Amino acid sequence: MSTREISRPQGETGKPHGTAGTAPKITYGRNGVPVAPAKVRGDGFRSYEIFQRERMGESTALIKPAQLISPEFVRNPYPLFAVLRENYPCYRNWVDNSFWISPYNEVTSVFADDANFETRPKRWFYRMEEYGRDLREELPVLEAQAKGIDDNAAPLAEALVAEFAGRGSADLATEFAGRYPLELLARVLDLPPDDVPLFAQRYWRMQRGSNWEPRSEQDGVKAIHELTDYFRPLLEQRRANPGTDLVSAVATLEADGGPTRAEDLVVTLLEGDHETLHGALANTLFLLLTTPDQMDVVQQDRRMVKFAYLETLRHSTPVVITRRFARHEVERFGRLIPEGGVMILAAGAANRDPRQYEDPDKYIVGRKDLCQREPRGQYRADGLPAGVAFGLGKPSRHPAVPEDRPRSLYAITRDTATTALNIVLDGLPNLRLQDGARPELRSLRLWEMHTCWSLPVVFDAR
Amino acid sequence: MDSIASFLTNMADEAEAKPGREAGATAATERKPRGAAGFKSAEQGFPLMPVGEAFDMGHAPDGTPLLDPRIFDAPEFYRNPYPYYKIMRDHYPVYFDKLHNCYYVTRYDDITACYFDDEGFNTIPKGSSSGVLGNTQLELSGVEHRRRRNLYGQHLVGKSLDNRLHAIQSIAEEMIDDFANLDESIKQDRNGVRTIDVGRAFANEFPIRVVCDVLGFPKESRKDFYYWYNSMMSGLGGSETHHQGLEARQHLEEYVGELVEERRKNPTYLYDANGKPVSKDVISKLCESQVDGDYLSTEEITSNIALVVGGGGETTRGAILNMGYLLLQHPDQFKAVMEDDGLWDSAFHETLRHSTPIGGQPRHNSFDIELHGVKVPAGSLVNMVDFSANHDERIFKDPETFNIFRPDLYSGKLLRSGYRKEGRCSHMAFGVGPHLCPGAWISHQEAVIGSKILWHKLKNPRINVEKMPKDIDGASLAPIGLISVKELWIDYDLN
Repeated sequence: MSTREISRPQGETGKPHGTAGTAPKITYGRNGVPVAPAKVRGDGFRSYEIFQRERMGESTALIKPAQLISPEFVRNPYPLFAVLRENYPCYRNWVDNSFWISPYNEVTSVFADDANFETRPKRWFYRMEEYGRDLREELPVLEAQAKGIDDNAAPLAEALVAEFAGRGSADLATEFAGRYPLELLARVLDLPPDDVPLFAQRYWRMQRGSNWEPRSEQDGVKAIHELTDYFRPLLEQRRANPGTDLVSAVATLEADGGPTRAEDLVVTLLEGDHETLHGALANTLFLLLTTPDQMDVVQQDRRMVKFAYLETLRHSTPVVITRRFARHEVERFGRLIPEGGVMILAAGAANRDPRQYEDPDKYIVGRKDLCQREPRGQYRADGLPAGVAFGLGKPSRHPAVPEDRPRSLYAITRDTATTALNIVLDGLPNLRLQDGARPELRSLRLWEMHTCWSLPVVFDAR
Repeated sequence: MDSIASFLTNMADEAEAKPGREAGATAATERKPRGAAGFKSAEQGFPLMPVGEAFDMGHAPDGTPLLDPRIFDAPEFYRNPYPYYKIMRDHYPVYFDKLHNCYYVTRYDDITACYFDDEGFNTIPKGSSSGVLGNTQLELSGVEHRRRRNLYGQHLVGKSLDNRLHAIQSIAEEMIDDFANLDESIKQDRNGVRTIDVGRAFANEFPIRVVCDVLGFPKESRKDFYYWYNSMMSGLGGSETHHQGLEARQHLEEYVGELVEERRKNPTYLYDANGKPVSKDVISKLCESQVDGDYLSTEEITSNIALVVGGGGETTRGAILNMGYLLLQHPDQFKAVMEDDGLWDSAFHETLRHSTPIGGQPRHNSFDIELHGVKVPAGSLVNMVDFSANHDERIFKDPETFNIFRPDLYSGKLLRSGYRKEGRCSHMAFGVGPHLCPGAWISHQEAVIGSKILWHKLKNPRINVEKMPKDIDGASLAPIGLISVKELWIDYDLN
């Protein structure tokens, strides 16, 4: 092979991975900011040396890059987050050339900045960008989703709690928090009950596969194809006989680029996220059960459940980091970030920033320095910082919800979680940890959700 | 079908298991390593496999073996890397490691092409060495790189090098004749047999003495030299020892600063075997070198010296020890080399092909490229794996075998352009193209002269198997893998 065979796009406008661009059109980010197309790249020779040079004498001696992928970090990232946040607000991992952003203001600024940074869809990580369309922003889909969730949130929670309420003991992590979001999703899709366990497993395999592990990736691709095959007849059936569920909404959608296909539905599910609801339920229950004084606060005044949920997303957010990519060369935090540069935003670090929160490692329901409603327009809705929960996306750009749109994902998730938590607390009197149980929060694998995987409890059986 | 709850529980339990276990118990997993001295226990990750066999990490539906990126951090990979590189060469000529966010290029042809393409793949990632070494040509490219490299590169080749051969020889002889006075911890005499560690007795120090001599450091600075060398080498690239590296560099800079002031006024000379001055030493020459009509600043001279200090020691040490380790394990080849001095060059080059001390160079690509169907966005970290190029069966037949007589390896005079004619190829241990190791020629001479004198002076040398690290079977010698031999314990007869 010679160098000649290495193809070089010449002066191509392009998305970062060089997919051929056609006519230039203005694109808008998810919060409505117009996004500049990537610069037309000339033939000029570009050395990356200026982006990368550490200042002489500057040392990042307190952290070794290997620690950022170590098992200790996977289990409990918070000690390392504190070191990063307090010493290296923009740490360049010199091994993999990524930039770790950890203080609150820095994280939220990069997360909200669609002009300079982009979040890449999970199908980019799968290298399946052309597989289907993401229909999450289509109004009929949003409406069907909101309606399905609102109709089913309480009945489903009651049904799940009823399954173990008579038993006197249960594992709330696997029997409730882990099941609830997936069964809720199945109800929103109106799947036959017998199909739900298999659907849930395929959904999980699909979500896990977008990570770095090659065997899971293979498995995820397989799950995507299995789900597509599963939904294809269902979609045709609902197209002929539409109901009010999400599958029908997708089936009857008039989208750009022709009628919708099963692939579009699967991509819509892939890009969606069950982790915040799952993690919020598990982590709130974990934190309340392991912090009895806060449990008392919530038990005495049930209106505090909502604040327990918000404080959980701050104190132990399930999605601790997310990756964004620089759309073009940009200077931030005193460094030049090259085009395509990987920014690793650490919500877990930002949410415990002592510059924002007093005593940040402490779980305080109703704390006075946390924004007590979902952020709107910006992260500091009432002049107070909100917890950063990546799964919920950026703060809505609408200062108030327009009449013709469903509530934001922030509001829907908050209401669902609050409803479900209230039903758990109502249905399981005298709820407490099982004797000798030592539950903990951990990720199963690097960059996966940080939550509680086993939470054995006892309560008074009905 | 399992319920969701039991599915989640299983998933959480699986995550607790080690990466090797997840694959399901294959026959290979069952094999328990015994007494793997010198290596971390297999329990920490992937099981230790017999040398040359890759651990089965699963397959894609089309049969392509999968490669779990965690392997690159595993002890298994450090001792037994070549079967995994073979998987990469055969199935992923450009492998994207999502965990470490970098790309690996593993085939000989691709690596050579990338090394020659100074514009498309310019230089090593910035910051990985400049913090400690300062501004060196490692991080430059194009004409800037050429100019600076030639400043001292020219003093390490050709006639300047020939002038130093007698010095290299006398340093080696002096050290080897001194073996009787070695510390007890690295030398034991018993029944007319002496047991020594060639590493600490000879190979660790020898290259550093040579560098000292060539640079023109005063003899009394040798002790500091070890401090600079060790601290700066271990401080490369931002680890926790980075700070020590920076301190050492500061110390070196102060020392060299005074030295340069002195040499600018009174240059010092190198002498030939008869004590006749032949030329100025490298520091004195750097003092009078000009770039673009400007004299070099002290800072620039220090950086150049730091680079020679860093590059000249560890690599040559590894070459000498690896060569001894491999030759002594192949007694017929050892015998042939001892009988024919002309074979030392082949032995040296085959050692570097089989077990090179430096296994590759990281690069950043300047443009969006597509290579073997993999899109690599501009500015990505692309690792060129020399280890793998040297074991590419497309170039070297039967690459895992150590054979100094192999017909497909070029072992003549080292060429910047590489060598590839009539089925003979140069190895990739020094790289090739503009960034070819400037110390390649001198390190070749050091290793060959040093080894020749060493092995001729020792009578009937053989490896002391008892004191060496063992492979997983607990009996045979450990493979070299990615890390050069650190200690080489040998026995030889005193009379």
